[in-house]
Amino acid sequence: MKRLYFWFALIAVFGLVLAACGGAGGNTHLDKVKQAGLIKVGTSADYPPFEYVDENGNKAGFDIELMEEIAKQLGVKVEWVDMPFDSLIAGVQEGKLDASISAFNYTEERDQVVDFSIAYYDGEDAFAVSEGFSGTLAQPEDVVAYKVGVQNGTTQDGWLTELVEQGLLPEANLSRYDRADQAALDLKNGRIEVMLADAIPMKALVQQLGGLKIAYEGVVSSGPINVVLPNGDTELTQAVNDIIKKLQAEGFVDALAIKHFGQ
Amino acid sequence: MLANFFLYIVQGISITIGVTLVALPAGLLLGLGFALINTYGGPWLKRLSAAYSLLMRGVPPIVLLFILYFILSGNVVNLTPFWAGSIALGIISSAYQMEILRGALLSIGGGQMTAARAVGMTRLQSIQHIILPQALRIAIPPWSNEASIVLKDSSLVYALGVPEVLRRAQQLSATTQQPMLAFGAAALIYFVLVFLVNRGLDALAEKTKLPTQTA
Repeated sequence: MKRLYFWFALIAVFGLVLAACGGAGGNTHLDKVKQAGLIKVGTSADYPPFEYVDENGNKAGFDIELMEEIAKQLGVKVEWVDMPFDSLIAGVQEGKLDASISAFNYTEERDQVVDFSIAYYDGEDAFAVSEGFSGTLAQPEDVVAYKVGVQNGTTQDGWLTELVEQGLLPEANLSRYDRADQAALDLKNGRIEVMLADAIPMKALVQQLGGLKIAYEGVVSSGPINVVLPNGDTELTQAVNDIIKKLQAEGFVDALAIKHFGQ
Repeated sequence: MLANFFLYIVQGISITIGVTLVALPAGLLLGLGFALINTYGGPWLKRLSAAYSLLMRGVPPIVLLFILYFILSGNVVNLTPFWAGSIALGIISSAYQMEILRGALLSIGGGQMTAARAVGMTRLQSIQHIILPQALRIAIPPWSNEASIVLKDSSLVYALGVPEVLRRAQQLSATTQQPMLAFGAAALIYFVLVFLVNRGLDALAEKTKLPTQTA
């Protein structure tokens, strides 16, 4: 039995050591990031061409290169943390991440718990359907007549959820997926009739999968795309904003867009 | 190009194994402690351990993961995603392991305790030298079931940003649009790992089998 006591004591000591590991500092968050020489950035690397994993297992895409450049100008390195999209806001909110970049649109709900940088790109939405689709999507609201798929926690999800709450779109006709590529596959398999997503990744999926087409394109729920930063962190937000402005003025952002989006 | 991608998924194995190697032994220690308390403790300790088991078996693992990482970690203790995920899985598993070990402890006839006490052993000595050595052996086959469940549940840590096998397969699927290939590779990796664990534990069960055990 002595052995058993030994194990319990060991566990107790282990717990205390873990508790003691939490450090503290007095400076602003930006100072801490600079001191560490490292900014911890969350992304969901399953959304080409914004962020994905390339054939060598490295993170790649528009957001990835932009953030690497922002960090370079801050004088720090990026430590990438790959999470499911709907964990990213919580990660920044709870201080697990210094920032998140994952084609985030501004919404009021998100703004209550995190801050946003200025926009670094303007996004549009697109509705994709199968090539044999015979219905009409003259305007976004026409979508209520069909079975729709969307990625969970996106602004498009928010827009469709509102249609459900207004009683226009039957709840049973809305399917939410963890990732955009899952929704696209279900569209191809015919389980849903329409898929709504950011236009650029939507077009990439349509091109890659084949048998699909874009039925409508325009601003529905999307719009300015921003970096997500901790709530009330004015120093870091200001620094990131200044760099984004500079990169836009230098044409760096446009060049990245041509490289990754072809436009 | 595909070879590189498979290599990328395979690199997740060390994380999958690492999470399992933390969660499973942690769950065993905690589970054994609670099983002993529940079987030989007083009425209050019995109630306490029963409540622990009910609560932890009732909470979905992912919820405990989020509570431990996003809420407790940082405010109470500072845990990395790997440790928060592994410990959460270990806590959940401890409740299941407690029930497995409790069943094994109870399967040792009460007469053995009486006999051990009759030759002058204390209660603790009886448990340590007579009951536990038998119970732990009996528990191996059902425990191997729990081991394979923990191994597969280790994929949940991806929700905290730990890139294990399943998350890597998801990324590969998103980039190549070949989900069959990506998830097939992940399935194969999990199958091989579970197969090896179960075979190893089968061999251990056979080697340590009690003379009184027929199976």
